[in-house]
Amino acid sequence: MVAQIEKEFPGYTPEHISGTSRRSFMKLMGASMALAGLTLSGCRRWPEERLVPQTSNPEGRIPGLSEIYATVMEMNGVGHGLLAVSYQGRPIKVEGNPLHPMVRVNERHGSADAFAQASVLELYDPDRARGFYVREGNTYRASSVAAFREAAGTMFGGNGAGVLVISETSNSPTVLDMKKRFMSKFPQAKWVEWEPISNDNERVATQMAFGQVLRPLLKLDQADVVFSLDADLLGMHPAHTRYAADWASRRKSADQNRTMNRVYMAESQFSITGAVADARLGIRPSRAKLIITALAERLGVGGIKAAGTLEGNEQKFVEAAAADLKAAGNKAVITAGAHLAPDVQAVSFAINAALGATGNTVVLLPVPDADRPTHADGIKVAADALKSGNVKTLLIIGGNPAYDAPAELDLAKLIGGVTNSVHVSIYRNETSLAAHWNVPKAHYLEAWGDARGYDGTLSVAQPLIEPLFGGVSTIEVLAMLTGDQVTAGHDLVRRTIEPLLGGNDKELAFRRMMHDGVLAESAAKPVQVAAKPSPPPSPAVPGEGGSTLEVRFFADPSVFDGRYANSGWLQETPDPLTKLTWDNAALFSPKDAKALGINGGDMVKITVDGQSLEIAAFVQPGQPVGVIGLPLGYGRGAAGNVGSGLGFNTYKIRTSNTLFAAAGAQVSKLNTRYKLVTTQNDYILNMDHIGREGAEERIGAKHESGSVVRETTLAQYKQNPRAAHPKAHGNLNLQLFDPPSHFNDPHAWGMAVDMSTCIGCNACVVACVSENNIPVVGKPEVAEHRQMHWIRIDRYFKGTAEDPEPEIAFQPMLCVHCENAPCEQVCPVAATVHDSEGLNTMVYNRCIGTRYCSNNCPYKVRRFNYFDWHSLDPRGGRFPKPWLGIPDQQQVESIDAIKQMVFNPDVTVRMRGVMEKCTYCVQRIENVKIKAKNDHLAGKRDSELVQDGEVLTACQQACPTQAITFGNINDKNAWVTQLHQNPRSYSVLEELNTRPRTKFLAKLRNPNEALAEGHGAGEGKAALTPPPSGPGEGKKGTSFEGVNA
Amino acid sequence: MSAVTQTIPVTPPQFDQDNLSDNPRERAPLVLGGLDFGGVTETVASINERKTPLAWYIAFAMSLGLLSLLGITVGYLVTTGVGVWGNNQPVGWAFDIVNFVFWVGIGHAGTLISAILFLFRQKWRTSINRFAEAMTIFAVMCAGIFPALHVGRPWLAYWLFPLPNQMNMWPQFRSPLLWDVFAVSTYASVSALFWYVGMIPDLATFRDRATNKFKQAIYGVFALGWNGSSRHWHRFERAYLLLAALATPLVLSVHSVVSFDFATSQVPGWHTTVFPPYFVAGAVFGGFAMVLTLAIPARQFFGLKNLITRRHIDNMAKVLLGTGMIVAYAYGVEFYIAWYGKNEFEQFHFMNRIFGPYKWAWGIMTFCNVVAPQLFWSKKLRNNLAVVMFVAMCVNIGMWFERFVIIVISLHRDFLPSSWWMYAPTWVDLGMLAGSFGLFFTMFLLFCRFLPMVAMAEVKSVMPESHAHQPHGAGQHHNTQRFDYQPDERANVPPMKPGEARQAIRDWTGI
Repeated sequence: MVAQIEKEFPGYTPEHISGTSRRSFMKLMGASMALAGLTLSGCRRWPEERLVPQTSNPEGRIPGLSEIYATVMEMNGVGHGLLAVSYQGRPIKVEGNPLHPMVRVNERHGSADAFAQASVLELYDPDRARGFYVREGNTYRASSVAAFREAAGTMFGGNGAGVLVISETSNSPTVLDMKKRFMSKFPQAKWVEWEPISNDNERVATQMAFGQVLRPLLKLDQADVVFSLDADLLGMHPAHTRYAADWASRRKSADQNRTMNRVYMAESQFSITGAVADARLGIRPSRAKLIITALAERLGVGGIKAAGTLEGNEQKFVEAAAADLKAAGNKAVITAGAHLAPDVQAVSFAINAALGATGNTVVLLPVPDADRPTHADGIKVAADALKSGNVKTLLIIGGNPAYDAPAELDLAKLIGGVTNSVHVSIYRNETSLAAHWNVPKAHYLEAWGDARGYDGTLSVAQPLIEPLFGGVSTIEVLAMLTGDQVTAGHDLVRRTIEPLLGGNDKELAFRRMMHDGVLAESAAKPVQVAAKPSPPPSPAVPGEGGSTLEVRFFADPSVFDGRYANSGWLQETPDPLTKLTWDNAALFSPKDAKALGINGGDMVKITVDGQSLEIAAFVQPGQPVGVIGLPLGYGRGAAGNVGSGLGFNTYKIRTSNTLFAAAGAQVSKLNTRYKLVTTQNDYILNMDHIGREGAEERIGAKHESGSVVRETTLAQYKQNPRAAHPKAHGNLNLQLFDPPSHFNDPHAWGMAVDMSTCIGCNACVVACVSENNIPVVGKPEVAEHRQMHWIRIDRYFKGTAEDPEPEIAFQPMLCVHCENAPCEQVCPVAATVHDSEGLNTMVYNRCIGTRYCSNNCPYKVRRFNYFDWHSLDPRGGRFPKPWLGIPDQQQVESIDAIKQMVFNPDVTVRMRGVMEKCTYCVQRIENVKIKAKNDHLAGKRDSELVQDGEVLTACQQACPTQAITFGNINDKNAWVTQLHQNPRSYSVLEELNTRPRTKFLAKLRNPNEALAEGHGAGEGKAALTPPPSGPGEGKKGTSFEGVNA
Repeated sequence: MSAVTQTIPVTPPQFDQDNLSDNPRERAPLVLGGLDFGGVTETVASINERKTPLAWYIAFAMSLGLLSLLGITVGYLVTTGVGVWGNNQPVGWAFDIVNFVFWVGIGHAGTLISAILFLFRQKWRTSINRFAEAMTIFAVMCAGIFPALHVGRPWLAYWLFPLPNQMNMWPQFRSPLLWDVFAVSTYASVSALFWYVGMIPDLATFRDRATNKFKQAIYGVFALGWNGSSRHWHRFERAYLLLAALATPLVLSVHSVVSFDFATSQVPGWHTTVFPPYFVAGAVFGGFAMVLTLAIPARQFFGLKNLITRRHIDNMAKVLLGTGMIVAYAYGVEFYIAWYGKNEFEQFHFMNRIFGPYKWAWGIMTFCNVVAPQLFWSKKLRNNLAVVMFVAMCVNIGMWFERFVIIVISLHRDFLPSSWWMYAPTWVDLGMLAGSFGLFFTMFLLFCRFLPMVAMAEVKSVMPESHAHQPHGAGQHHNTQRFDYQPDERANVPPMKPGEARQAIRDWTGI
């Protein structure tokens, strides 16, 4: 042995090594340990940093602080005004622009919906089109912009004969201008637009009713009674943010002056508007005409006769609505879904005119592109042209017609048959794979652009980042094709906008517009039109009175028409009503499902007009009887790694004649099953008897208040403001022990959630995901119920399985920040503790993941990182691959570099094995506190205390209805404090003495008593007191006036 | 003395004779087969000295197979994340903590038998206490795996211990999980110490009977130089008594503390003051079932029928019946309190236990823990080993399901219906449960092979020969020496000189 040592370490005396004394051993070991600690980087946990010296810092930028730019996102031809938060040159979050009239909620914030919130993820989607591609044989070869320019020169030449353009719809002035230039350069070219979800029937209807194409804009804040025929005003309507805010203002008014609006909803597809309506009637699509004409007849609108006879419940509904509408007069609104047949919509305009609503609660706006063919016509024109073989060059701008065009046109094949075809697209989708050239389209956060809001308000989109994957914008492509002198996006936009700017200093005006995000006074001026008498409706109503099943196509709340299929955030956001994630399904009413012998998860074959579709069935309480709901947008073939192959492609049976509904559907049950994944049960249908009873005790039976979900009606609320709390416990303030602290130094943070105005739209959910770096876990993990959302919207049905109109209550649930927090007491490592201001904080570094806190949380709002979600593929298998290496691995190495760009640097990216939950957006609180303190020290403000409304949590900021209010409950005038004192306010599970800082406000409904079973009419009338003439009494003290509209 | 040992055949005759007499005038013998002290030694020590039977190898291979399954699943878990289990949002704890509580419960009987029955002078304990204690230690080892691995970041599980650190961060002492750490680690160390101390005289016997230098050295090291002097005996008995007194409260405390994990929380079905006594009774119940599960085959295969007699089995069956009745009563009390307390959530929970989606688990639990032990009211059935084995197996299963019922059913539907969800185990859950049995049986088989399965010295102390002056002594009176510690001549290995043991170990191991 000694010899070996000698050989191995020449120069050492072997005895020196082998004959180690205890002392020298300790010396050696100590030195080795110290060396190991100094040099072995593997033992370190802090992230690697690489210094990049910036020789000149951009002016006005403070490192570490984010900047906000106004921009606009155009979706389906409607611009949504946004504020984009940019951190060190990368946009990480979007918010609603409070200066934009269509998204404004109050003077402090606007609302960005779930789609807008998720658009930042789209920006950083690694699956986006990366560079130019050209087809060679059956494969695509990477190309360049120069090569494309050269090829375009040959493809687009002469007078444009044989050129066909299929464009996504856009109301952008610059796009319209470029279109005009394109058409003047190529006068023989054909330009059509196609959107699978289209409001174009409304254009036809207004043409029919008023002789010109108009866009109706509802003033729901003025409306006492709203009658909606299948119009999802608060959900999928292009103006849903404005409508939701206005609708909510007339719900909140119950607290001030005890008035509320009343919403009637007759719908052929269960929507969130239906879910919050005061009276709801599920109808078949084919009954829409009957309902509207019957209503017109009851209201005595000139010469309209009911197109058939109403059934019992329909009659009751229509009569109750007619009485209310008549009473409301010009404070009523009738609206029909923009997808409905033009003659049906025309009747609704006639009723509005007859009631005097037109010009008051319904204004009509001109549209900039009134002369184009409708989408339905356009795509048929395009298909005919392609079929005729005259199309030499095909330009497809955006969209995905190969996937979403009417099935019978078989557009994918037709596009593939054109030699020179170009697809400008943000993703290389189904259409791109049929086209010859793929041009990467720049994301709206990467390129200059502009858009008009639903009311015509003009906004400019500013690029916040260089195109990540070399994309070009639509206007730049068109400039390239037309050989425009101006090529840069900025200059193109400037050229169009400049004439619209007022004043002499165009530069200043343009800068002002960019700063504000909107051009002041640019909204379209209402058109004063005399409503022409509605044309007599055609008497035949297809399918009327028949018992065949009808299908109803609608935009999916998660992926819309399919364009957001590759967004993990949206895929994982549960559908507001079905709570399905990662899939769509054919929605059956319980009654139909029973008759057909279908259970949820069964595969069924639906045949309409000879076209058939195999799809999983989902039994949905509240789904109109006789109607199969078919959400569009799934079954994508080339959506990307996240979205491809999810769900079922319902476009397969959607034809030009049945864009929204079709009668005569045949359903046969297949003998296979499909795993559909929801985040919540429905309690009334798919639950054992004992669970149903237990749930009902907490949720409440129909028309009743439960212990957890409380509600009452306006009539009862007027009599007894505490009517929502029949089971409330006595005085819980009598306690054995004093609280350890009041947690109110110097602020006491608290929240109020108003269930009366929550519409379940999911904007808060996605906003929270975006703000707090919440991971996407994927379908197999949602199936395990491991979704990570810090805020969830609990959707509770009330009623029975057979009930065609179950009631719904939405209860957004997030950490309620208990003063007496059960989670804190049980954590063995003190990883969840209270701070002095009442926040129940999570110390991720200290958490070892016992999950005890989650078990002990009565609200079950804690979320556990069972895996290292961020570094995993959400479409990966059930169990991710073993992940060898140091478990606390450097996240910068394990998470996709592009995905990392979307992270909010103010929020820790959690590793696996730690618990997390809502923090009340502590990073936002701290930002405001630091600024307040600095300003105070600099003498810019009186107090370093945060003033009411200065801190907005991400969910609060996204909420269009102000259902969420956050603030300092030390401040007696704070809006949140006032809401805490509201008689509707209660603590969920207050009997557990957790003393939550988040209080919930019981839901108020305003039902028409005439519709209640076993009650006579009359009571309901009392609810219809005149609208508020001014600001409410008793709430003058609030320092946050805008909240109350 | 040597004459006695020499007349005993290597394998003593097996008498599965009836010592179940209920005649109060006669103390039933605890050792049968006419064994005297030497016979006892021979019976026990020969198990280890004989050639290892093939059956042992087969059993050991199977156990080792399961143990490697544990290794694989643990490796997978640590490298991948606890998500490989079926735990989910409402059900944060499932098989992990079910297994933990199950094994800790099993670990109760050993110390109960050795400490409490010792203090209560229950002499029949002597035949079974050694392997019951071994069972305890192995069960606690199995139990210890789960809390360490159930955490999301197992490499940081040591943060549960109050270790000084640069942040002055101590564990959160209000958390019952922390109490668990103290309770279980104290219990494990005291049980191990108690077991070991009680084994010293027997280890010395093994040393003295060793047939080679290596065995002699190893047993010698662990026998701590025992030479059977009366001073040694005196110290030993004092120490043993003190340890018994120390271990006794631990029997009660460990499972009480484990029950605090649940009792101090808010969850309906957990938040119950009856839990500490209920859990302790349940643990003794489950522990005795496991002792029976091990004892009945062991006395058969290892020829211990003269030491672990029918009467021992009968006594244990009675304990099972008694503790089973306490457990059944506790089940009833929970329902009564739920009804009496008028707490909507608790009432729902107990209805959901019986009629909810996991009603089968409740059914298994109730049948196994409440119905099956009722067979033991009949003496005839208590004396039917097949029936006893059946009931013991029932109780093993039932007690596992009791923890499943308490943990999973309580969590899967708690307060807000929106969070209600079902739990299903994955193959990793099942693999780790099976693997923990692999660990348990591997350890137990090693124990059977290398350590004295029955406390020879203690058994001798309860034989009539030890009590020559007591009037009811039924045995022979030729031996008035209290214990028969004698260097054994048959071993033919002379006692070691100082330093020789060290050399012997070196020679054998090459270290």
